[in-house]
Amino acid sequence: MDSEFYTIAGQENGNRLESRILEEKIQQAVEAGHRALKIEALGQHGIGGRLWKAGDDPVHVRIEGNAGQRTGSLGYPNTFIEVMGPVSDDVGWLNAGAEIVVHGNAGNGLANAMAQGKVYVAGNTGSRGMTMTKSNPRFAPPEVWVLGSVGDYFGEFMAGGISVICGVNAQNPDDVLGYRPLVGMVGGKVFFRGPHGGFSQTDAKLIPISDEDWQWLTENLAVYLDRIQRSDLLEILTVREEWQLITARAPHEKGLVQRRSMTSFYKKVWEKELGLGGLIGDLTNLDRSPIPLIPTGEMRRFVPVWANRKYKAPCEAACPSGIPVHDRWRLIREGRVDEAVDLALAYTPFPATICGYLCPNPCMQACTRQINEMIPVDTSQIGKASIKAGVPELPELSGKRIAVIGSGPAGLSIAWQLRLKGHEAVIYDRSKILGGKISSLIPESRIPKEVLTSELERIRKVISHVNLQQGLEKEDLECLKNDFDFIVLATGAQKPRTLPLPGKELLMTANDFLGAARTDDVRPGNRVVVIGAGNVGCDVATEAHRLGAKELTLIDVQKPTAFGKERDEAEAVGAVFRWPCFTKEITKQGVVLDSGEVLAADTVVISIGDVPDLDFLPESIKTDRGFVRVSEIFQTSDPHIFAVGDMVRPGLLTDAIGAGRKTATAICEIIDGKRPLMDLPAGRSRFDPKNVDPKNVDPDNIDLATSEYYGIHENVWDTREAIDKARVSLEYFDPRITEFEDPEQCGSQCASCGSCRDCGICVSICPQAAISREPKSGVDYEYVVNADKCIGCGFCAGACPCGVWELVANEPIGL
Amino acid sequence: MPSNRPITPSSLSVKDLPWQIHWNKDKCTLCGSCTAVCPVNAIELGVFRKRIVETELGINSSSSSVFKVYHGVRQKTDPAYSCIGCAMCSQVCPNDAISPIKSDEAGKLAFHINRGGQPRRRGGRRNVPGGLLDQIKFIRISMLTDPALDAGRHEFELRTLLGRVLPPEESIAHFKSNGWIPPVREIYPLIIGSMSFGALSPPMWEGLQMGVAYLNEEINMPVRMCTGEGGCPPRLLRSRFLQYVILQIASGYFGWDEIIHAIPKMKVDPCAIEIKYGQGAKPGDGGLLMWNKVNKLIAAIRGVPTGVSLPSPPTHQTQYSIEESVAKMIQSMSMAWGFRVPVYPKISATSTALAVLNNLTRNSYAAGLAIDGEDGGTGAAYDISMNSMGHPIATNIRDSYLNLVALGKQNEIPLFAGGGVGKSGNLAANAAALIMLGASGVQIGKYIMQAAAGCLGSETDRCNICNIGLCPKGITSQDPRIYRRLNAEEVAQRVVDVYLSFDTELKKIVAPLGRSTSLPIGMSDALGINDFNVSERLNIKYVV
Repeated sequence: MDSEFYTIAGQENGNRLESRILEEKIQQAVEAGHRALKIEALGQHGIGGRLWKAGDDPVHVRIEGNAGQRTGSLGYPNTFIEVMGPVSDDVGWLNAGAEIVVHGNAGNGLANAMAQGKVYVAGNTGSRGMTMTKSNPRFAPPEVWVLGSVGDYFGEFMAGGISVICGVNAQNPDDVLGYRPLVGMVGGKVFFRGPHGGFSQTDAKLIPISDEDWQWLTENLAVYLDRIQRSDLLEILTVREEWQLITARAPHEKGLVQRRSMTSFYKKVWEKELGLGGLIGDLTNLDRSPIPLIPTGEMRRFVPVWANRKYKAPCEAACPSGIPVHDRWRLIREGRVDEAVDLALAYTPFPATICGYLCPNPCMQACTRQINEMIPVDTSQIGKASIKAGVPELPELSGKRIAVIGSGPAGLSIAWQLRLKGHEAVIYDRSKILGGKISSLIPESRIPKEVLTSELERIRKVISHVNLQQGLEKEDLECLKNDFDFIVLATGAQKPRTLPLPGKELLMTANDFLGAARTDDVRPGNRVVVIGAGNVGCDVATEAHRLGAKELTLIDVQKPTAFGKERDEAEAVGAVFRWPCFTKEITKQGVVLDSGEVLAADTVVISIGDVPDLDFLPESIKTDRGFVRVSEIFQTSDPHIFAVGDMVRPGLLTDAIGAGRKTATAICEIIDGKRPLMDLPAGRSRFDPKNVDPKNVDPDNIDLATSEYYGIHENVWDTREAIDKARVSLEYFDPRITEFEDPEQCGSQCASCGSCRDCGICVSICPQAAISREPKSGVDYEYVVNADKCIGCGFCAGACPCGVWELVANEPIGL
Repeated sequence: MPSNRPITPSSLSVKDLPWQIHWNKDKCTLCGSCTAVCPVNAIELGVFRKRIVETELGINSSSSSVFKVYHGVRQKTDPAYSCIGCAMCSQVCPNDAISPIKSDEAGKLAFHINRGGQPRRRGGRRNVPGGLLDQIKFIRISMLTDPALDAGRHEFELRTLLGRVLPPEESIAHFKSNGWIPPVREIYPLIIGSMSFGALSPPMWEGLQMGVAYLNEEINMPVRMCTGEGGCPPRLLRSRFLQYVILQIASGYFGWDEIIHAIPKMKVDPCAIEIKYGQGAKPGDGGLLMWNKVNKLIAAIRGVPTGVSLPSPPTHQTQYSIEESVAKMIQSMSMAWGFRVPVYPKISATSTALAVLNNLTRNSYAAGLAIDGEDGGTGAAYDISMNSMGHPIATNIRDSYLNLVALGKQNEIPLFAGGGVGKSGNLAANAAALIMLGASGVQIGKYIMQAAAGCLGSETDRCNICNIGLCPKGITSQDPRIYRRLNAEEVAQRVVDVYLSFDTELKKIVAPLGRSTSLPIGMSDALGINDFNVSERLNIKYVV
């Protein structure tokens, strides 16, 4: 046999040939036509590869001695290589078709990157065998056959080819595939026989051996065993059940690493160890299951509330008489004009005189519309219309009698209210006519006589017992106390304040001037100086002008406090305001100022306010700095005696009206056996100092009737706060109205702050159709929310023209 | 909004706000979802009046002026309701009609959110995008010089040691004399840092714990999570999952009496005890859980009555020096479990870190040192603490490591780094950089909140309302109406995903270094940066 082979020795003269020289010799031999070569190798590199010079002629290379690394590398399909013993690393590297038989063990890197051909190993192999092998569709897949076991990291990145590991005399009989085989495998098959220690499950999978596979295996096994001359093993190795087959996972299978689902982990591991409900199942029974972002019902973060009339309208809150002005506009809108007019009578006996003419209308000053540059709804229009208000129905008398001293607005208000509630009020007044300063001092230019007369007549029909022209002394009060259940002092401030100046006898008081002016009983000179530039001073100036004065000067020590109609009218007649001016002396020439300047005057009127005349009060009634001291309910230090109006604290007419109403309420409550301010109607809370802005209140004087006190007091009886104007949507109203034509237009343009207009915009805007209007008894109704539909978006609150809807945080859970 | 209104010094316009709501009238369907979901009520339905003047071409007929009213979404400008940019409105909008846009200039809000003299507080992050860690490159790609490994194929032992490792001679001597050998845990180097039950919502906390347990038991990754200060649910204390838990004790000691009661019933020891002395987000400041968050559940876990505020002092009150802290706290906590559990302190990164570390090196009970850098997150802190206080982590960990090297103890006392790790999303790169600078492991907080639960913070002052219980994703809320948006199982699954992908990325970094069986702790020759001064300071290569 040997004689058939052309022998090439790996050494010459006892010296090992370089791999390059041996390669040259082999290539030359093939070129020279030799087709059977015997290489006596001495570890040279790459023996047997690249024999393409033989073309399609088969070339047989037998390697004896020590085959080096990469035996048969870049092998060509014509080549058959037989290694007669073991082989070093990388046998069959990048083999492109050679058949290589190794009659011993193979080292590391067996068949790395092999693409075609076969490697038959008769023993075990080292690590990283069959790595990066591939299969080109143009050729048969490469095959690697191993009789024993393979080393670690077998088949890494294997992309094709077939590997057969027979497990005969395996180096590692417990694990014929070695450590971490088939990582990164993307193609090919691995038949193996014997136990394995696992392989990359992400890349490869065990599959059943099909009949076709088995047929291929048995047929080729015979060839393999023949090549390695171990056909004796055929019978042992063809026991089908001993074989297993691994194949690569397809790309679409690779992502699907079979791991336990978290749900399964929760149920079978987590809850099993911790108990039902997991980590905190023992600490809470709250539902913790997931919810969507926009839940309804109980899981809403916010809940809309139809807070109809929860807050006062700003007009109502600003009115010292407490008239719900917006409610009157509602009645106008509803066509109930008579009711709108009559409504005011529950609050004031002077709805026309005061609301329509004399009041500076704090309601209008407070009107929400102004924050959007719109003119306020004109209360004076409905005020003037209230002249038509009829006499209210009067209840039967209770038998309780109250004496009211003074018929000014405060006294009339309290008497009016007491009578409306069924108690008899007897007015005592020194003056000829009812109305106090309204009747006696305020110029007719400001209040038409027929309006005042008409309202006073209405009052007379209600307050039937009037004793006029009664002066009052201290002892009279004691008598009255015996005759009446309560006494109310409302004598006002009638004593003009004056100044202790040289020449003060030349002064005329404003009250004297205005009282005389009403009957044209005074003739001012051409030049009139008024000391004190308030609204009364303005009235003096206006009346003086009417009566012929030409030059009108109002002086004050500070910026004039005059405002509104009074000031407008004074300025219209040419009154000049000067300040600060400190008067030193009054002379025949006029007013001498501290600066030495003389303001020439024919008539000098002093108008620096009035103080109460308290001389008639008994000792039992305490006073404070010239005014009567009263409690929160206008009770004096004598519990049977109350005091209201300017004798308690100077204020507007409407302040006096309001104080009268509140005092009447307190008296009625006492008569009914209640404690005023303590027994509050249901739903009303007691006065709480925390609700009062401390900046505006002197805590030491909280009992005192200060002007701020009215505000607090309002809170005591009606604890509702004024609505936040920002809640009202004024965009619904026409901003170009510069003047209201009539009460109907006023009503249509009133935003009805805090009180439902029944417009239904909330129903329309609700994206969930969760809001509906539910009729109640009569004309009453309410808007209700279906919690199961509502998502708490607050659109109702945003769209509501009146600011009725409010969005509140839902009830806390788990606290 | 009335146009002609008086203004106050703090009257702001939409333009002044840091986040501006862009609302598209054409697309909006007025469904109410955006206003319903907005966590801070920054938007509301508005009524708008529109005026149209109609004039004919040529003015042949009289013109008219018509008002129309329309409804739409309006942004509030009151600083108390300013948009936080969370974009939950965008999330719920069916028509993509609304989204917050970051203002194109510095917002004016910052000057006004101190009403009543109360400086702004927030949760979340420092809001400084980017940072040093993101600039560090891994420049050593071994290829032929070391056996280059393949991250996909090769097996890696990406584990680290938590615990004191004695020098070999001492260890042998102790072993021979049956002396005490400090406990050491072999754990995954990415630790979920301390976030308390209370700071986090129930599903978030449970989800994190569940994910950690899954990683340990289903994937064999020894991941650990620190409880934060606020106790530990009793069931967890009595379960085998406790071995995956690092219990934290901080200056408020909340929940610790419950833990003591549970010790006799514990099946396993906890992984370790972390003593919190400081945190990176608010160095020198204590924690505060507001009373309104202390509901029945939180109260039960912390062992307190409901409805009381739970402040933690800025320091442990009975300790006045490092020596005292080490002597008292570490020993006390070691004794609790019979010296079987590693105990280590956590401090905020500080210029005084070396003083702490040097002390720890002299105390064999100290199992390590965790340092939390300035970029750490928090549930609640003053702006001033978050923005301006603290120390960057890179130099602090580097100095500490080099100090250990100088002492020859770099393999004996592990350093753990935290604070802004992965804040720009580069978790593996940041973690690897810190490890190669000398950390034995890193702690993450914000990253896991973002990745596992969709936290919306983004270093641009977006959202950042962890402190007020209104977390839009339900991560930091105790209100079931909010936290039920979050599903614990889904959080757990995300934790698993995060760790698996992190693992691959970390391998991609360390494989080219030829490292597979030990973390490249302190292997700073692999690091480079294109900033010369930084390279000098960190003692790493300057590469351009």
